[in-house]
This record gives sequence, C-alpha cells and structure tokens, in this order.
Amino acid sequence: MQDVSFDVPEGAVFGILGPNGSGKTTLLGIVMDVLIANSGAYAWFGNPPSENQRRKIGTLLETPNFYHYLSAQHNLEIAALIKHKPPDDIERVLKLVRLYERRDSKFQTYSLGMKQRLAIAACLLGNPSVLVFDEPTNGLDPSGIAEIRQLIIDLAAAGKTIILASHLLAEVEKVCTHVAILQQGVLIKSGDVLSALSQEVWLELGSADMAGLKEILERLPGIKKIVRQGNHFQIYFIDTMPDAEWINRYCFENNVVLNFLQVMKKSLESAFIELTHNMSN
Amino acid sequence: MSDSLNTLRVEWLKLKYYRTFWILLIVIAVCIPAFNYVIYDVTDNSFPKMNGQNILGNPFSFPNVWITVPYNAGILIFIPAILIITLFTNEYSYRTHRQNVIDGWSRWRFIRIKIIEVFLLNLFVTGIVILTCLFFGFITRTAVQPKPGWIQYRFILFFFVEMLDYSLIAVLIAMLIKRAGLAMGIFFLYMIVEQFVVSLGRNKYKQGWVDYLPEEVSDRLIPQPFARRILAPGNTAIWEKHIPLYLSIALLYIILYILIISWRFRKSDL
Repeated sequence: MQDVSFDVPEGAVFGILGPNGSGKTTLLGIVMDVLIANSGAYAWFGNPPSENQRRKIGTLLETPNFYHYLSAQHNLEIAALIKHKPPDDIERVLKLVRLYERRDSKFQTYSLGMKQRLAIAACLLGNPSVLVFDEPTNGLDPSGIAEIRQLIIDLAAAGKTIILASHLLAEVEKVCTHVAILQQGVLIKSGDVLSALSQEVWLELGSADMAGLKEILERLPGIKKIVRQGNHFQIYFIDTMPDAEWINRYCFENNVVLNFLQVMKKSLESAFIELTHNMSN
Repeated sequence: MSDSLNTLRVEWLKLKYYRTFWILLIVIAVCIPAFNYVIYDVTDNSFPKMNGQNILGNPFSFPNVWITVPYNAGILIFIPAILIITLFTNEYSYRTHRQNVIDGWSRWRFIRIKIIEVFLLNLFVTGIVILTCLFFGFITRTAVQPKPGWIQYRFILFFFVEMLDYSLIAVLIAMLIKRAGLAMGIFFLYMIVEQFVVSLGRNKYKQGWVDYLPEEVSDRLIPQPFARRILAPGNTAIWEKHIPLYLSIALLYIILYILIISWRFRKSDL
C-alpha cells in the first residue's frame, strides 16, 4: 500500500471500496495490528494505537475466527474477557444475531452464515462506539444480507462510527455516508459519498408529443445534451439540474403534457467502475 | 480483576473445554509412572543378581530413583511436546491468534501467556515425575535409607530444564510451521537428526562440540542411571565437573528460544 491517508469522521458509515486485491483487508489488518506496515502511522480516537484502543472497537476482519471446539457462548466469553466487557452482554448480542437458541452448539457445527453472525455478535459485545466490518455479508443468504444491512443502518442511526470494507457496491451504496476508494494499494479518492463519487443525475421525460417536447427542452437554459431513448428523452444539465416539479410545470405551461418523468441517478457501481477505469488508464 | 488474572482466565477457558488437552494430560500422567514401572520390572527381573544384589544396582530405590525416573521420563518428553504443538498450531489454524490481538491483546501479551502456559505444563509434568519418584522410592525402600540431599533432588530441576528446552523447541517449530501434523513431523525429525549428528560427531569424528547441541546438552544433565559403575566407570567425575557448563548452556538455549519466539511473534504478520 502507498500514500493511503484519510480521516474517518465520528458517526460516519465509512466505506472502504475497491476490487478484490485492492488492499482493503490489508489496510484494516494494519490498523488492527495484525499486519506490520513498513512505514506510516495511524491513530484511533486521536490517540496512538494500543491494546486499550482496540478493546473499544468491534472488529470483524476477513473470516470469523473462533475456537472450533467451543460453543458460541464460550467463544464469546473469551472475546468478552479479552475486550474487558461484561459477560452478561453475551445474551443480548446472541439474541440480536438470532443465535441465542444455538448458543451451546459448538462453533464447528455452525453454517457459514451462522459463523458470520457470531462474528458480528462478537463485534457488538459491550456496545462499542466504533465498528469495523470487513465484508460482513460474506456467506449470508439474501435475508441474512438484508438483516446485516438493516443492523448497520440501525447502528449508524444510533451514532456508531462504522468502517465497512466491501467490494459489493450495491451494499455500500445503501448505507455509507463516506468512502475511500482503493486500487492496487493506492488511495484514489476519499470523502463523502457524493463528492468522492460524482454520481451523475439526469431526467427522463416522455410525452405523446415528442417533437414538441424536444423543441421546448432545447430552449431550457443549462442543457448539456438531450438523448432519445425509445419513447423517452434523457436530458443532462451542465451544472445544477432543476427539480422535477419545475420541469413538469415548464412543460405544461408550454403546452406539452408529460406522460413520463423520472429523476435518474448513476449507480455507485457504474460511478466506481468509471472512476477506477479512468485511473487505470 | 487484574490484567494478568484476566489473561490467565482466557487461556484457562481455551483449555477447560478442549478434550484433546485433558486426554493428553491423562496420557502424560499415566505414561510416566507406567513406563517407569515397565523399566522397573525389567531391571528387577531380567538381570542376574550378584551376592543377592541386582547387577544394575538399585536404580528405583532412594536416592537413585531421583535420577532414574527423570531419565526415563525424559524419553517420554515427546508427549507433552505433542500437546504443546497442538495447542500452538490450533491458534494458527483457527486464526484465533489474530482475533485475540484484534480483540484487544497486545502481541506481547499473547506470546507471554503462551510461554507461561508452557512453564505451567512443564511444572505439571515435573510434578508427575516427583510423585513417580516417591512412589518407586517407597515401594523399594529398605530398612537403612541414605539421607537424601540436594545432590539427589537436583535431577528434578535438571528434568525441568531438559523438558523446557524440548518444549520451547516444539513452540518454535509450531510457530514457524503453523500446521500441527507437519510441525510434529519436523519436531521428531529434528530429535532424530540431532541424535544422529551427535552419535556420528562424537563416536566417528571425535567432535566435542556436538555435546553442546540444543537437545544433547540438556540430555546430558541426566546421564543414564543403570549400572553406571560397570558401564561407565570414571565418567561420573567428568560429568560432575561439566554440570555447570551443561546447565548454563541449556539455560542459554532456553533464553534464546524465548527471545526468538517473542521477537518473531511481535515482528511478523499474523
């Protein structure tokens, strides 16, 4: 990794994005002290890293790591002791990830999804203010993915700072407020989602009178381009796009009745691919 | 709860519900007295008697038992080594060494408790050796008993040093290899290769330095106890003279292993 430098604002859901092998897990491994960096420095809570700082962070890095011969309950007792958290919180976190009924089963009998949920339970022990999730939905089924996404949204709403590494952009798009984008170990962009990834917006409009619609659209100030897509026009603006209500009224006042009007936004995925592709070139 | 007590409790939780740990502890506790009993039986019944006395002397009577039992137990040192390798490589295969650090242990705390665990296991095995000495000493005791002293008891300390030496080699190999089966294979291979080098170096090439190789030097702290007057007359005095040197070198190896183990764990990627 090189020249990777950014701050994670308190209370942010900070996505670390990048394709496989871009260095997301390496970066988190360094800040969790399991990988040694040749140079550079990092701080947690504004302080130099230490075992005390790490105890205040719930971390799921790569795979769920537990003693296979121990039950979920005993594995979490070990985690709670290391984190200096009260063992009576185990019941709460097991219930939260729906593993309470299976708390006495050995870890080795768990499915991949259950192992992942147990790892998330371990992260939540003691209600830490910072959470680090590396690919938290790995191995989960669609309903499990939705649950974890909702959990992250709930945790963010509760004011937690969440650092989330993922290559599943649709997942990140739904929850992140900030992002850092890595490619081949280099930070190519970081900041709040909107400024880091210019997610272009445009309008799609349709009318029975397509010729009349085109004519009045061409008279609009700030138009960048108009593209016909079947029965719709896509209109792109140079700077700020007027809101849909204003456009609707403008068309109506110019005797064109719209039968279709939608604000479109480029997905995080396309914005990300465009950005990483540009950087590669 | 103090930090050290908390750390010990974590290690205890890891072991408490680990069946292999208890099985191997029982194997150790059974094998040391049982193996000694087999040797006792052989020495008692299979050798000719001269003037009513066994030709090998009374290796299982006080005070000789304090050297005989530790010597025989030394042959079984590979059993606790298997346990140590298993406990260490488990952390690597489950990747829990990483998780313990991620959750809030320093690397130093992790490796320190592991070394303490090895010390405690060594104390347990040494305890079994002491109990075995007492058992055989009492079943073979005669009316006239020589007064025991430091000269006899020191073999218990030497056994502890010998076992610590082997245990830390096991830790080092487990740490470098990370896989249980392979690490055990390499540990046994190392034991055999060193013995081969020692035999070849000492007997064929007359090289004195082979006596100071890591396992050999700690083995030499407890010389073979049977029929010493017959098989190796005069060797006792030479051995006695070398004890401080053997002990110092064995302790140096122990310090070196601890330094390498902790340096390696603290400075490498987990």
